[in-house]
Amino acid sequence: MIEIEHLSKRYGETAVVDDVSFTVDEGEIAVVVGTSGAGKSTLLRMINRLVVPDEGRVLIDGQDTATIPEDELRHRIGYVIQGYGLFPHRTVAENIATVPRLLGWDRRRIAARVEELLDLFQLDASEFARKFPHQLSGGQQQRVGVARALAAKPALLLMDEPFGSLDPVIRGKAQDDLLAIQRRLGTTIVLVTHDMNEAFHLGSRIAVMDQARLLQYATPADLLTHPAEPFVEQLVGTAERPFRLLSFVTVRDAMEPGPADGEPLLPTASLREALAQLIWRGRTTLPVADASGAPVGRISVEGILAHGRSLS
Amino acid sequence: MLTLRPALHLDRLGSVIAVLIGVALFASPFVTYRANRIVSGEGRLLVDALPPAGAVAVIAVVLGVALCAVLAQRPLVRLAAACLGLVTIFPAVGFSAGFVTPAGNTFARVSPAIGFWLLALALALLAADALTRLRLGPWGRLAALSLAAGALALLLLSGAWGDLSLMKEYANRAESFWREARQHLWLAFGSMLAACLAGLPLGMISHRVPALRSSILQGLGVVQTIPSIALFGILIAPLGYLAANVPLAAALGIRGIGAAPAFIALFLYSLLPVVANTMAGLAQVPADVTEAARGMGLSRRQRLVQIELPLAFPVILAGIRIVLVQNIGLATVAALIGGGGFGTFVFQGIGQTATDLVLLGALPTVALSFAAAIILDAIIDLTRRGAHDRD
Repeated sequence: MIEIEHLSKRYGETAVVDDVSFTVDEGEIAVVVGTSGAGKSTLLRMINRLVVPDEGRVLIDGQDTATIPEDELRHRIGYVIQGYGLFPHRTVAENIATVPRLLGWDRRRIAARVEELLDLFQLDASEFARKFPHQLSGGQQQRVGVARALAAKPALLLMDEPFGSLDPVIRGKAQDDLLAIQRRLGTTIVLVTHDMNEAFHLGSRIAVMDQARLLQYATPADLLTHPAEPFVEQLVGTAERPFRLLSFVTVRDAMEPGPADGEPLLPTASLREALAQLIWRGRTTLPVADASGAPVGRISVEGILAHGRSLS
Repeated sequence: MLTLRPALHLDRLGSVIAVLIGVALFASPFVTYRANRIVSGEGRLLVDALPPAGAVAVIAVVLGVALCAVLAQRPLVRLAAACLGLVTIFPAVGFSAGFVTPAGNTFARVSPAIGFWLLALALALLAADALTRLRLGPWGRLAALSLAAGALALLLLSGAWGDLSLMKEYANRAESFWREARQHLWLAFGSMLAACLAGLPLGMISHRVPALRSSILQGLGVVQTIPSIALFGILIAPLGYLAANVPLAAALGIRGIGAAPAFIALFLYSLLPVVANTMAGLAQVPADVTEAARGMGLSRRQRLVQIELPLAFPVILAGIRIVLVQNIGLATVAALIGGGGFGTFVFQGIGQTATDLVLLGALPTVALSFAAAIILDAIIDLTRRGAHDRD
């Protein structure tokens, strides 16, 4: 659990981060969003003390980070930045092994861990372990960057615009991969982005920052239905609000009994996807079937609309 | 009607080389004959410098090379032709010395003349151009250099050049030649090492403390503008004072003239390239790389040793290359103040108007600089391996 308590940072007269407090529970993804210059990155860098706060403190599992020596603290926290900062003179395997080596793991354990991570990130060890960063595509570099941050099994992962330099096609896939890996490892993540879609896609909670202040810290659904300030409402985008809400609800919640014709949907699909399919196929109802293909009910345009109205 | 004859392609550089070869063969003396070491000599054309059969053979081979230079397009063919030409004319000039010198005359001197040098230049140009077109990797270039050095050693050790004036000058001074060679290397490499020991930390400090940067660079820049002789002069007073008043300095052989001021001057000249390149090398380390290293908990020292210096290394090496080539040349001037080195022969030769003695000092210096440049360039290429930026 990460507790951020009254963090502030000033450069001269201007406050970059002004009295920010929030808590991230074990295994959650907290996304910090805001316009550029809102203080997001500085906030993130105060968690691993790359920036020393003027006021306030950060507790990791109840321990004040100021009491841990800086380098030791950073060995325990994964850190991914926009350009990844892979070491160009080291191979992929050596890059990933950076923190384990600093921690003095023995060679066999490091090799096993590197292979495990490459496997986890769908990079063939025999092909990629000995490549140099400049031989990788942008998406591969990104995966190596995240793998390197996770190498020493940190309980907390800090990510500063980790998808910022990927093109949109790869970005979506990279986000899904991160979600899958995060669910598997249960790592707590604090992620900074200026992309609202990314925040809604990844965040279990979203912190909205503007001009050094934290405006609201809430679940994505809460943020949509109860924006604390006009700025939050504007950032969330009123026009897209219903669609975003629908993407948090699964077909299972709006399902009704009865048969229907057509290609079945999974109960775990979001209502947003279901609506898209209904519109695209020109139908008013579609069957719902579980993973094994057994029919469990149907979903209708009416049902989705009724559910959508009840959300707001 | 269809013509199957391929269009004739004339190589531009090859044509220049062919013209050079023509001038060298038929319009310039191949060797100079002098009755003794000091008098001015008379030139001998190639046809007069070798027995008729030998002269015809050399002319035929070299003309063949010229034809290759103009017509051949494959670099490997051009390189082979250049090498063939070189291994023909170098022994030939040695043989010519024995041929031109009257039997039993120990005073007469024979030296390569403008025709030989022009031929050597033309063939070397052809070889260098072919090597460039071959785009050899670092190992290939090192191999080519070792082959050339081996061929040269074979030429000198075989005694094929024994009758040339240059080798007679060497034979009279064999002992002092190797002593001055050691001194020359010590001056050039020792001052370079000292400059690395002082310059690397200085460069790292200036990288870390921006306030120091411009003053250090400006100070070293001023040193670079002082001519070497003036710098020797400036150093005479403080070193002389040191020698007179500090017994330890005198015991170490530090005096106002001699090797000490030469060493110090070379050291001072070497500092700017080392410091400037260390700074430039560290500055080009990408910011996100250092940020990531910091974020992962590498200490300051670990960052410097594991990340920044390895990434700056090729640029620092480029600075060391500049220093080494510059020092090998500059060390020649050390002889002016009694510092020794190959310059000793150069200045003696100038004093005695003995051209071959000048060459005895100058040729090894040029060869050393040339070899140092090739070796260091190859090492730089080898270390660049992973240091390039992401595409």
